[in-house]
Amino acid sequence: MSTDADKKLLAVDGLSLQINGASILKNICAEADNREFIGLIGPNGAGKTTLLKSINGINKGSGKVEICGENLAGMSRRVIASKIAMLHQDTSVAFPFSAMDIVLTGRYHQLGRLKSERPEDYEIARKYMEFTDTLKFETRPINTLSGGERQRVLFAKVLAQETELILLDEPSASLDIAHEEQIFKYSAELCRNGKTIIAAVHDLKTAVRFCTRLILMKTGQIIADGTPENVITQENLSEAYGVKALVYKNRISGMVDFHIPGQADITRGVKIHVIGGGGSASGVIRQLYESGFDVTAGVFAHGDSDLGCTEVFGVRALVCQPFSEIDDRAFEENIELIEAADITILCDMPFGHQNMRNLEAAAHASRLVIIEDGRPEDRDFTGGSALSLYNALKKKAIVIDVARLHEVLP
Amino acid sequence: MSKDTSRINMDIEAGNVLKRTRTIPQKMRAVLPFMSLLLLSVIIVAVSVGTVYVPLDRAFRIILAHMGLLQDPSLPQDQNSIIFLVRLPRVLIACLAGGALAACGAVMQGMFRNPMADPGILGVSSGAGLGAVIAITLGFAAQSIYLLPIFASVGAMLAVAVIYVLSLRKGKIAPLTLILSGIAVSTFVGAFIQLILTNSNTYELHKFVFWTMGGLNGMMWDQVRLITAPVIILLLILMLFSRDLNLMQLGEEEAQAVGLDPSRTRKLLLLIASLLTASAISVCGPVGFVGLIVPHIMRLITGPDHRILIPASALGGSIFLVVCDIISRLPAGGEISVGIITAMLGAPYFLYLLIKTRKEGGIF
Repeated sequence: MSTDADKKLLAVDGLSLQINGASILKNICAEADNREFIGLIGPNGAGKTTLLKSINGINKGSGKVEICGENLAGMSRRVIASKIAMLHQDTSVAFPFSAMDIVLTGRYHQLGRLKSERPEDYEIARKYMEFTDTLKFETRPINTLSGGERQRVLFAKVLAQETELILLDEPSASLDIAHEEQIFKYSAELCRNGKTIIAAVHDLKTAVRFCTRLILMKTGQIIADGTPENVITQENLSEAYGVKALVYKNRISGMVDFHIPGQADITRGVKIHVIGGGGSASGVIRQLYESGFDVTAGVFAHGDSDLGCTEVFGVRALVCQPFSEIDDRAFEENIELIEAADITILCDMPFGHQNMRNLEAAAHASRLVIIEDGRPEDRDFTGGSALSLYNALKKKAIVIDVARLHEVLP
Repeated sequence: MSKDTSRINMDIEAGNVLKRTRTIPQKMRAVLPFMSLLLLSVIIVAVSVGTVYVPLDRAFRIILAHMGLLQDPSLPQDQNSIIFLVRLPRVLIACLAGGALAACGAVMQGMFRNPMADPGILGVSSGAGLGAVIAITLGFAAQSIYLLPIFASVGAMLAVAVIYVLSLRKGKIAPLTLILSGIAVSTFVGAFIQLILTNSNTYELHKFVFWTMGGLNGMMWDQVRLITAPVIILLLILMLFSRDLNLMQLGEEEAQAVGLDPSRTRKLLLLIASLLTASAISVCGPVGFVGLIVPHIMRLITGPDHRILIPASALGGSIFLVVCDIISRLPAGGEISVGIITAMLGAPYFLYLLIKTRKEGGIF
C-alpha cells in the first residue's frame, strides 16, 4: 500500500485513445487519492467505459497511467490484477460455472500455475459473497441466476481481488432499487475504509448522493471535475447533456439536486399568478411552467415549501415574514401582480389570519380560477371570516379540481 | 449485502476459518476413476478380439505377465505374441492418439469459445499430410519407421506457423482469421499433396491413403516409444492451463481483469496443442472427429471446468478410439481403417448435436 504523500494512488496523464480512427479519449488528465469515491458521469458515448478500461490497461492508448507511482505499461496482467479490479458492464456468463467458481477467479492473481485455491482463498470468497448477499447461490450455476444476482456475484469477485483501486462500470445496471442502494452504500463505505472506487454511473442523482467527487465527461474529454456541488451546475449539465436542467439544493436531502422540466413547446405569452401556500401551489406552478406560461406567485410565508418550488423553476414569488400577517408592501405587490396577470389561480390552501390578505388580493383578479379539491369549511382556521370571503370570490370565479385545471387554461 | 464492512474486517482479524469446500462437485470427481476403469476394460477387450480370439481372462493374464506381475508359464506362446507384439502396441497408440486429440479438442474449443474448433482447424492435419507424402514419395518412409512421423510432425508445425503468422493482428491472434486462414492453408496444402500424388506410383499412393484414413494397422512398439513421452508430457502441460482456460470462458476482458493475458496464453496453448496433435497423428494419420465429438460429450457430463474436462476428454478420447479400433477389426473380410469408423460414428452424432442445439437456439 502506497501512502506516500507525493505518490497518487492513480495518476492519468495525457491519455488519448483512438479506435478505428475515431478519437474516443482526448488528452485525459486526472488523479485519484485513497478513500475517494469518484463518479464518472456523462452522456452515452462520452467515453466513460473506455476510460475505465484504459485505466485497467485493457485498452492501450497513448499517454501514461500510473498506479502508486508505477507505470501500468510495464506491468503484467497478473500484477495489474493485484492492484486494480474491475466490474464490467456486460455480466453475461455463458458457461455453467458455480457462483463460487466465479468469485474464486478474483483470487487468480495470487495463485501459481501448480497451486490450487488455498483455504484462505475460499474464506475470502465466502466473506465477500456474504457481503454481497450471494453466499446462498454458492453452488448454483452462474447462468441460472438473474441479471442482478449475477452482478452481485461479480461484485463479490471484484472485492475478492482485494485491490486498492476498484473500477465499476455501471454497477447498478441490472439491479433493483434496493440492491442498487446497497451496492452504492457499501461502495461508499469501502471508500471510507481506505479503498478507492471509480464508478461510471448513469443515474446522476445516485452519483450525487454517494460519490465524494464527480468527473463529467463529454465526447472523450473531461469537462468538469470536482465535488458534486461544483460539477452538477446548470451550465455543465447543459453542455454535457444538452438539456435545460434546473439545479437546486434539495431541502429534504440537503444535497444538490436538479429537475429537468418537460420542455414547453411554445411560450404562450399568457401571465398567470398563483396564490397558494403550504405546498398547495407546487404542482400547479410546475404544470404551468412546463406548459409555457409566464408564472408569478405569492404571497408565501418565509420557509413555505412552495417557495422551494418557485426557486427550482425560477418563478418570481412574493415573500412575507413567517407566522405573521402579510405586510402592506407584499400585499400591494401581490395586487399589482394579480392585476397584471391574465389569469389568477387560487390554490386549495388552508386559510388563517396570517394569509387572509391573499384572499382580499384575489378579489382584484380579472379572471379567477379557484382550485377546490376539499371542502373549504375544513380549511378555514379563522372562525368563518375567511370562508365568507372565499365564498364571495367563488361567485365570480371558475371552480374546478386540480386534475382538470388544464381545461380552463388557454 | 447483509453485513457491513466493519463486520467483514472483524471476520478477517478474528480469522474465522470457514469450512473449505471443493468447487468441483463430488460426482464429477468420480468421473475420472470410473473412466480409467472403463479404459482398462476396453483395452483388455481390444487385445482379445480379432482374427484370433483370445479369451478375456487370458488376455488380461498375458498383459499382467508382461508387466512382471504374474508368473504363468502355461500361457500359450502364439497368443502371447499376437497380444504383445501386434495388438497391444496398436491399442496403446489408439489410447495415446485418441487422448491427445480429444484433449487438444477440449483446449481448442475452450480457447476460442467455439464448439466447432478442433485440432484440424490449425492446419495440423494437412501440414502433417504434406510431410507424410514427401516422406513416402522421396523414399524416406521406407528407410526407417521413424522418418514418416518426423516428416509429418515437421509438416504440421510448419503449417501451424504459417497460419499463426497469417492470423496475427497487432500481436494478437484474431480467432476468426485463424479459422479462415486455417481453411485456406489446408486447401492449398491439400492441392499440393494431390499434385505430388498425381506423379506417384501405386505403392506410394496406397501407403499415403492408408495413412490419411487414420490407420492403426501395423503399429509396433517403436511407434509407441516414439510418441509416449511427448504425448504424456504435453498433456500434463496442457492440464496446467486448466484455470486459465476456465477464465477464458468468462470472456476476454473479464479474463484480463482478474490477471490473465489471454493473447499470450492463447499463443502458448496453440503451440502446445499443435505439438501434441502433431505427435499423435504423425504415427497413425489424422483420425477425424475425435477432437470434435469427445470434448463435446465430456462437457455435457462434467460441465465446463477444464480441471476436469481436459483429463476427462483425454480418457474419453482414448476409450472412443480403442472402441473404434475394436469395431474396425470386427468385419470378417478383414479390417477397415479406424478413421472410417470414427467418422461414421462421429459425423451423425455431430449432426444430432447441431440439430439439438439449433432447436434450443444455441450457438451453432
